[in-house]
Amino acid sequence: MRDGRAWQGNIKVRLYERVRERGYTSLTAFAEARPTASLLALAEELGKDDIAAVQVFSGLVAEAERSRRVTRLVRAQLVRELSEGLPNGWPAVLNDANRFQVAKALSAWISYTPDTHQDRARQISAALLAKPPPPGWRPRGPDDERLLTLLPDEEV
Amino acid sequence: MRAESPGVRWTGLLLALALLSNACAPLMPPPGRGTHLRYTPHEAATPAWAQGPGEASTPEPEGPQRLHRRQGTREAVTAVGPRGEETPWGSALAAHLAFRAALLDVSGSTRGLSGELSRLRKSHWGIAGKAGLFVPHIEYGQDQLRWLDAEFAAATRLAHAATEVEDPDMQRALLRLAGPRLEAALLGSLLLAAWVDVLHLLDVAFKQGYNSLETLFVDMDRWRQMVEPAMTALASREPGQVEAAAENMPALMGYLSGELNRTAQRLESGLRNVEKVKVLAQLMELVTMRSALKFSLPTLRPPAPVTLGVGMVMGTSGVMMGTRIVVSAEWVEMMQRLVREGVLSLPAISAAVRIQAGQMMMAHGELPRGVREALGDGPEVRGMRVTDRAGAGMAERPRHHVMPQEFREWFEKRGFTGDMDINKFCVRLEQAHHQAIHGGGNWKLGRLWPGEWNRMIMKTLRDAEIEAGRMLTRNEVLDIVGEAMKRYGVPMKFVPWRGS
Repeated sequence: MRDGRAWQGNIKVRLYERVRERGYTSLTAFAEARPTASLLALAEELGKDDIAAVQVFSGLVAEAERSRRVTRLVRAQLVRELSEGLPNGWPAVLNDANRFQVAKALSAWISYTPDTHQDRARQISAALLAKPPPPGWRPRGPDDERLLTLLPDEEV
Repeated sequence: MRAESPGVRWTGLLLALALLSNACAPLMPPPGRGTHLRYTPHEAATPAWAQGPGEASTPEPEGPQRLHRRQGTREAVTAVGPRGEETPWGSALAAHLAFRAALLDVSGSTRGLSGELSRLRKSHWGIAGKAGLFVPHIEYGQDQLRWLDAEFAAATRLAHAATEVEDPDMQRALLRLAGPRLEAALLGSLLLAAWVDVLHLLDVAFKQGYNSLETLFVDMDRWRQMVEPAMTALASREPGQVEAAAENMPALMGYLSGELNRTAQRLESGLRNVEKVKVLAQLMELVTMRSALKFSLPTLRPPAPVTLGVGMVMGTSGVMMGTRIVVSAEWVEMMQRLVREGVLSLPAISAAVRIQAGQMMMAHGELPRGVREALGDGPEVRGMRVTDRAGAGMAERPRHHVMPQEFREWFEKRGFTGDMDINKFCVRLEQAHHQAIHGGGNWKLGRLWPGEWNRMIMKTLRDAEIEAGRMLTRNEVLDIVGEAMKRYGVPMKFVPWRGS
């Protein structure tokens, strides 16, 4: 990303142009094809110099609101944060160093969770820390069983 | 004269440098003494001074020892494999090593000057005598050491902070914060070296019995008036002022050279005794080598190998000017890296090169193309310089605190004080970008999503503390802030806050 070029011009138009160029009809479809990629990686693939990760995410939120699949997006985002922050899966023992990595991933996830789901996200974070998943746990997508139990779809 | 033979002093300095190198061992690959910049006059002077004042001082621009040292530097600076692309981490590391090397060099140089100034302060038969007329000028030099040391210490602290963060982009960003301080210290120590040379010249002249004080006193005052504004500008920490001072420095050094040349010739005619004149001639040689001031006392020196009119040649061993090495390949490599990474600015570096090369090059005003290219003044660096300058309209871009001012206390508690104050971490953003980040602008960042930067970053940081069950450290805060900046497409290039 150079010189904040991501914020010049018509961002929305640029974003959807790139998505179509890559053969997808929606940003969600593009993102779901890369379930463990970080937001940064998604943005980089769409435009290394002129698309920011938050723009990709707000596009995803807008689409999810329209299709009433916000909960699924929230799960999908947790998958991305965990893959980025804990590439080797959930740590076997929480020591000071990896506790920070967990905290960083979870706090980023919470802040990328729409207001409607904020409280749920906080509860889930607390639950994950209180009753840790098995060591090495690394959800591969929004349909991960443990994730579905923690945050089931309720919108449809 | 014997008691304070330059050889003795230089041994002390080298010892100091060696100790310094050892002290830094954990942070760098074995540095040896190869990490000192070639432009540092101390290095160049070493072989000549070591002979002692009684012997003839033929210049020895290339010795096997020096070549060997260069080799060491190359290893230290190139921290990546010989083939393949540099990883972001490798390049950040290399930039960091280059920065360390440059720091080490400046510190060696100021230490040498500090020792020299204390010696002069005690030189009661020389410059410290004469009813104390010239003592204020020595003290002026010593005063400069204080800010030079402060800049050096700050640059060192920031470089150290850079090693502690994980993200290579943040590492580079912290080095860039330290860059202007290193630049100021680098140029300041060059200027101080020139000042010390002036004092030294007078010191020897007085010791040899030169007694016409009036003219020298007036001269001294005039030189100080020339040096002072540049020193003040370098010490100001204002990037614009530092850069302007850097650009003027080659001319200033040229002026001082001319002045000192005239003075030296006057002293020569004032000292009738052949032996004394010989001492003075040797002194001129030494002075020339220390501060890169150009002197010539042609009647007394053996004819030098052809140097005039010889252009700059880029060879494997560095940029040569005649028989004299101006900057080594390692120096170029080190500076090239720091310029490319945006840590040091090209104007400052080219000033250092021009000072080193002396008046000959100054006639052209600009660096020869070979040197410019060697320093990395390619399209990439040029572009960087243009966007860095006010000319591109960047000066008008509003500065924005990355860590919100309203929460200053919160950040102070987590170690953001002094050199790492939140005021040091501002970014320049286009108006549109700024508004977009603050949730306004013409594009809403998702209806449900709390996009407002300050709110977002504070919430993320607080949530991270809740999840971690403890207070975050400074580096952890930087880690999270850096990640958020990347997601927002905010360039990781910090500028200090300006205004209230």
